[in-house]
Amino acid sequence: MKMKTYINSKITMLFVLVLATVVSCERDISEEASEVGFTNDPEIFIDGFSSGLEYYPFGGSDNDAFTVDTEDTYSGSASMRFDVPNYGDSDGSYAGAIFRDDNGGRDLSGYDALTFWAKSSQAGTINEIGFGQDFDENKFLVTLSGLNLATNWKKYIIAIPDASKLTQESGLFWYAEGPENNNGYTFWIDELQFEKLGTIAQYRPSIFGGEDIVVNTFSGVDLPITSMQNTVNLSTGADQTVTIAPGYFNFTSSDTSVATVSELGVVSVIGAGTAVVSATSNDVDALGSLTITSEGQFTAAPIPTQNPENVISIFSDAYTSEPVDYYNGYWAPYQTTLGQNDINVNGDEIIKYSELNFVGIQFSEDVPTIDVSQMTHFHVDIQVQGAVEAGDFLTVKLQDIGVDDDFGGENDTAGEITLTNTTLSDGNWVSIDVPISEFTGLTSRANLAQVVFVSDATITDIYVDNIYFYEISSEPTTAAPTPTIDEANVISVFSDAYTNVAGSELNPNWGQNTVVTEESIAGNNTLKYTDLNYQGLQLGSTQDVSGMTYLHLDYYTVNSSALNAYLISDGPVEAAKALAAPTSGWVTLDIPLADFSPVDLANIIQLKFDGNGDVYLDNIYFYN
Amino acid sequence: MKKLKYISSFLALAMVLLIACDTDETQTVTNFDNLVMEDNFDINGAPDSNIWDYNIGTGSNGWGNNELQYYTDRSENVIVEDGVLKIIARQESYMGSGYTSARLLTSGKFEQTYGRFEARIQLPWGQGIWPAFWLLGEDAGGTQSWPQIGEIDIMENRGQEPTLINGTVHGPEYSGGESITKSYELENDRFDTGFHIFGVEWGENYINFYVDDVLYNQIKPTDVTGDWVFNHPFYIIINVAVGGGYVGSPNDATVFPQEMLVDYVRVYSAD
Repeated sequence: MKMKTYINSKITMLFVLVLATVVSCERDISEEASEVGFTNDPEIFIDGFSSGLEYYPFGGSDNDAFTVDTEDTYSGSASMRFDVPNYGDSDGSYAGAIFRDDNGGRDLSGYDALTFWAKSSQAGTINEIGFGQDFDENKFLVTLSGLNLATNWKKYIIAIPDASKLTQESGLFWYAEGPENNNGYTFWIDELQFEKLGTIAQYRPSIFGGEDIVVNTFSGVDLPITSMQNTVNLSTGADQTVTIAPGYFNFTSSDTSVATVSELGVVSVIGAGTAVVSATSNDVDALGSLTITSEGQFTAAPIPTQNPENVISIFSDAYTSEPVDYYNGYWAPYQTTLGQNDINVNGDEIIKYSELNFVGIQFSEDVPTIDVSQMTHFHVDIQVQGAVEAGDFLTVKLQDIGVDDDFGGENDTAGEITLTNTTLSDGNWVSIDVPISEFTGLTSRANLAQVVFVSDATITDIYVDNIYFYEISSEPTTAAPTPTIDEANVISVFSDAYTNVAGSELNPNWGQNTVVTEESIAGNNTLKYTDLNYQGLQLGSTQDVSGMTYLHLDYYTVNSSALNAYLISDGPVEAAKALAAPTSGWVTLDIPLADFSPVDLANIIQLKFDGNGDVYLDNIYFYN
Repeated sequence: MKKLKYISSFLALAMVLLIACDTDETQTVTNFDNLVMEDNFDINGAPDSNIWDYNIGTGSNGWGNNELQYYTDRSENVIVEDGVLKIIARQESYMGSGYTSARLLTSGKFEQTYGRFEARIQLPWGQGIWPAFWLLGEDAGGTQSWPQIGEIDIMENRGQEPTLINGTVHGPEYSGGESITKSYELENDRFDTGFHIFGVEWGENYINFYVDDVLYNQIKPTDVTGDWVFNHPFYIIINVAVGGGYVGSPNDATVFPQEMLVDYVRVYSAD
């Protein structure tokens, strides 16, 4: 309280200086005091804890690993002793701690290295050792990995990457070390301090481990800068490389309308175009860069809706995918296709193929083949980049290698489907759902090994996502969606939700082969046509539906490849509407009655279906 | 054609280094303060051809030391710019060698017996880099050969020893591994991060070696294990070698290109 009074009374700068000392003794730094700077005390542990130093072991480490040793010292009366536990020690599986200045930090800008003397009870390699870890932002963290200790006292140096950053550093020292070959051991550190050696030079910062990285990506993607390091040359002539925090770098984007970089080294892609992200540290250009080619806004493929329990995924973020050998085998000598799972839009991976002629995803060499014999359907989402013209095609081939689990032999089978310009679309995702049975020739699928795409360069650039197999039960496991239309606006033929037209004949004998049954699906009465060739439905009375707008029906078929619905008026006059089949679950259709022209909507007497396969029908009604 | 600059004007250059060094009574002191040649490397382009010549190629057996570089006079390897002479060692395939660099010499253009020879240089660095500033005795019209002609290495450095340089003399019966040498180590500094002055004061019966303001060695006839061969004209050589027995080969950590920067070369004679 006394201190506050002095500050408020506008004392002189000299007095503030005095206060700084008082304040640091009380471990209560005022804002005014901070203006005069923090102590440049270089000492961490010479013969005891330096002023402000506190010990904080890591969670899970042996809290008692560190002690002060007054017998075995390099110099003076005490050293720091670290007892690394044995493997499996119940007190903690490793030794590790930070040593922090709790007086608010120190001004280390006048030094160029952390130095200490050390020895160990046996030759050991400290996993990680350094400074800048403060259990807060770790803004100026420096980590030297793999410091080799000998059984005699030797001096060690850890270079500061850019001392000008360290004007208020609390993280004075930290280490983490586990057992050597499961055995614990002891090492000692003495004369631990910061020094101005003057012999550390040739600062060579790097990002991405010095590599020049190129990525194709989209707006909205965040890319972390990784492998940030600094290499210096020591007076011994040896280089030393340490891993350093983003705080030591100044990052630059060559085009901030394409990508920006945060102080924490996270690149945010915000627009279309090309930008190069580079960095400097300590006024030295860092080795390594990130060149971003952004396609701008990205539209993700439709999110798959199949229940994961019924899916075997090759490539999808919606499911747990099976491991693969590769997404592009670069099959020599004829393959031109480049690219694989290169695109990651915030966790959504997408395969990008360019210069496509053919390319294969394989899962047979280093990973198991995949048994899709229980699956019924194949799904893939494809977006073509570039005009799709007549004659362009994309063949999707499935390769099974048989029970010998090896290519060749008598038991390899394969089948393919071909997508053409009538299906594929420039710049739009197209979802392909086909019964595996359409991959004619794929007679076994218990040892699936490859998914191959072939375009013969008719289409050269595609995005691919959500490659998976799924099982649709031949019988629906859920009821058709319950209708929501008000009964007053409905004339119902077949539905549990409404009062149906009385006296209708669901299975009139028109000479058909179709077997008609009524099945309870999840408690809901459902009409089933087995082995459909054609099938009529005779209404109990002639219906005037001219006041109605739609014919509604729900249908479900896993094995029909042709299906038509007919409306028949007195005469008879009939008209057909083709229904997409097979389905991947219940399909709800609202067919405009106008589509059945010239059927007389005032005199509807019958409905009819023809086609093939087994078809479930429900909620057949007219409404407006 | 411009002749060598023989500067006769008296220069009030106090011999700072002599003042600074200790007053060892065995040292012989002569004031060499008559500047007779200097190149401050202030004109961009190739070095002054009135002063400097080049050794080209790989010499015999890598200049006698199994050195790995091919010396050229290309601007890629030697150029004056930014007020300094740059000798640039590069890693490149050239004329059958894996490295290129440059070696400048004043043979036939500037030679002198006795005097103060000094240069202000920032050294290159790294394993296998071997910069040197040295004097070689003229060969009496080809009648004498090394080591009889004498060699005074004002500064030699191993790039992997960034704080150390060596000053050495070679002569008959004390050449190569038997040369008379002493190293000098910088305290709290290194030779590749800034300019340092390397020089000798060479008189009739002594050679003093100094770095900046520190005279760290004196070699006299009684110190050598053979004839004293330093009483005839010597010329200057400045070069950056790559590899060779003295320094060993570069390794993966050696950064190329490497530049030796020479701010000036000055030679003084006695009053």
